[in-house]
Amino acid sequence: MKRALIKYAKRGEAALLSHRETMRSLERALRRSGLPLVFTSGYNPRPRMSFSPALPLGIQAEAEYLEVSFDGETDLEAAMQVMNSALPKGLSIIDIQELTASMPKLSKWTRYGLYRVPGDVGEVFLLLALAGGKQARLKDALASLWQRLGLPIGSELRGISRVGLYASDEEVFEDAGDSVYFFDGELGELEVLTNSV
Amino acid sequence: MGIDVFLEYELLGVSHPGRYLGTEVNARNKPFSEASVRWALIYPDVYEIGMSNLGLSILYEIINDTTEAMADRAYLPWVDMQERLLECGVPLFGLESRRPLASFDILGITLQHELTYTNVVRILDLAGIPLLARERDEVCPLVIGGGPGAFNPEPIAELFDFLVLGDGEEAVLEITDAVRNWKQEKTLDRSDFLRQCASIPGIYVPSLYKFAYRADGTIDSITAEAGAPNPVKKRLLSDLDGWLYPRRPVVPLIEAVHDRVSVELFRGCTRGCRFCQAGMIYRPVRERDGRLLANWARELVANTGCDELSLTSLNSADYTSILSLSEELAMEMESRHVAVSVPSLRTDSFSVQLASRLRRVKQTGLTLAPEAGSARMRASINKGVSEEDLMRAVAAAYGEGWRKLKLYFMIGLPSEGEEDVEEIWRVVRRIMREGDSGAPAKGLKLSVSISTFVPKPHTPLQWAAQMTPPEIARRHFILKEGLRMKGVTLRWHSREMSYLEGIISRGDRRLLPAVISASRQGCLDGWGEFFSWRRWEEALATEGLNPAWYAERERPFDEILPWDHLHCGVERDYLWEEYRKAGEGESTPDCRIRDCTFCGACPGKGASA
Ligand code: SF4
Repeated sequence: MKRALIKYAKRGEAALLSHRETMRSLERALRRSGLPLVFTSGYNPRPRMSFSPALPLGIQAEAEYLEVSFDGETDLEAAMQVMNSALPKGLSIIDIQELTASMPKLSKWTRYGLYRVPGDVGEVFLLLALAGGKQARLKDALASLWQRLGLPIGSELRGISRVGLYASDEEVFEDAGDSVYFFDGELGELEVLTNSV
Repeated sequence: MGIDVFLEYELLGVSHPGRYLGTEVNARNKPFSEASVRWALIYPDVYEIGMSNLGLSILYEIINDTTEAMADRAYLPWVDMQERLLECGVPLFGLESRRPLASFDILGITLQHELTYTNVVRILDLAGIPLLARERDEVCPLVIGGGPGAFNPEPIAELFDFLVLGDGEEAVLEITDAVRNWKQEKTLDRSDFLRQCASIPGIYVPSLYKFAYRADGTIDSITAEAGAPNPVKKRLLSDLDGWLYPRRPVVPLIEAVHDRVSVELFRGCTRGCRFCQAGMIYRPVRERDGRLLANWARELVANTGCDELSLTSLNSADYTSILSLSEELAMEMESRHVAVSVPSLRTDSFSVQLASRLRRVKQTGLTLAPEAGSARMRASINKGVSEEDLMRAVAAAYGEGWRKLKLYFMIGLPSEGEEDVEEIWRVVRRIMREGDSGAPAKGLKLSVSISTFVPKPHTPLQWAAQMTPPEIARRHFILKEGLRMKGVTLRWHSREMSYLEGIISRGDRRLLPAVISASRQGCLDGWGEFFSWRRWEEALATEGLNPAWYAERERPFDEILPWDHLHCGVERDYLWEEYRKAGEGESTPDCRIRDCTFCGACPGKGASA
């Protein structure tokens, strides 16, 4: 049994599909792709798939992930093409690669999410822990951020994208520039992290 | 506000925004501006129900395959979205094109159930289109109806420019042609154009028919204008194989009620259950070719990625080569992890074995519909199932490993006594004891569903009285008391909803003001939380209409019925004879197994003298 990591984007109106609806669309595209999927056993077999942490409704994404198991030889490039021809507008597969046995599972490294938030003076980046003690809800984080930026609370969700998922907070600067707002869910506070390297 | 801007700002605030995006895989998206005839196909209920309708999906395919025409889709938005539309002053629109419904040439609305009639009114209101056909001018779309409701559309007939009776495949092409010519030539005004449409077979133009009433409220006459057919005969395709079938259907963005792809094995059913409207209006049986069906099934699965394939019809176990077809598909689909299901099975061990052979991929439920508890009632409705058939079917299901079964019964049938209702719980108790060859059935769970009989037009029971809600309540009580036992759950339909269904289903044109006012006061009858019998009572009373007169009255043979000018093929005399036989408990065999009984539905076979 092999594993493949699929990286996908959810742009524009596709942000209005719930996590569940997105999973369904991806599953259907996978079933059409010719990838020799491995199914779960039991009364209701489903393709063995795992997804990166759920994205709240209305948020776009540049780099979400889906891990699938498959058997036998297959042309991943071709599978990606078929999938891309069978997805609702706004969902697209960006990359698909085979994982080696030593590579960690999706849930092990998708611990932080980086959000790009449009503001009055250009965009800012917001970082959230998606698992563990400092985990926070995006809604709470945005409320703090908007307050800090002097924007009315409950401003638009439109235009916000999750741009990356990371194993640790140090990895984010590659995508976010030198500083990023971090919302600590445990303390309920917004802090600024800067690149120390 | 433009529709695009509206969607961009408002969708995030409504439930299930995926309903309104129109960006589904396999949506045809034919350019609105390039088409010379623009259809919006409308299911007057919420997206996830409408998307499961095969009829509209067939017409969508056929229209979009013609070069000059396009077909978009629309559904009734949920109430939160309705509020947003009204508040922003944005009219209801086609999902794919995002153009106002008012800018289409034809709005084709399917009438699947009487309790969606208030929804139809709501859709036209949201679209900003004058409700009554006679109030619409040249720039308004033609509003046309179809589906089973077209066989007695009178309570809302005046909303429609015309309706199509029977199979729609060929008719939509003829309508498309007629509309294209009309638009190009610009010589006929709207009412002359409608007169011309009345000559297309199967087309009923309500404005050409006048109703006169007697002092006692019954109909005195139905007169057709010169040139309009009387009766209007339904459209019938004698061979379905030559017609397009959607093999690349639109894949719903949010989970549909029936989340599966379907191949239609056949149309029609001749078992002859006397309460069943579908069994009369879709006659005769027309089977599709098995090779075609198998190929379509493969294409459907490949083109949608769907994980369930349904072999549909009114009675799938009756398909001639059901065993070989289902066996072939089940084997092939198993390797792809696609479940094959056969809904609407008969109550016999053959059907159970069939279901069990298909149950390879997914544990599906099993439903048996003996319909009535007592042998007397089953004979009366011509349901040729004996209690022993039912027991054998249950034993077979139990033996094949099913532990959860669903049983359907109907109460409130003509001449039904309380002892007939008691038979239902007696049978259920017997099943619970005997699930496994006489011993108590270990682990068996029964879900017992009780529906209320509603007399339907074009059936043998169309003359019968409907039982009153208090009488039905007493029966529900009897069942509740009798079925207080472990492993049995009991559910029943809302009595008031069934009663309203009865009023509308045999209603006439005088009901229209009540339908409109109920809708405008917030009634969306099919949506439980927006059903209000109290508001309906008020609406009927305001119009001086007596609900009991419509629902509870047995009609004499010579009374003119509001659908006597609409003909489904089965003759009125035949239905009356069946009504008599219902009273006597006489059976009528299935004409596919035994001889033709001369119902009138087959062209050339003639009706009984
Ligand atoms: S006309 Fe005869 S064969 Fe045709 S559907 Fe009626 S009973 Fe059956």
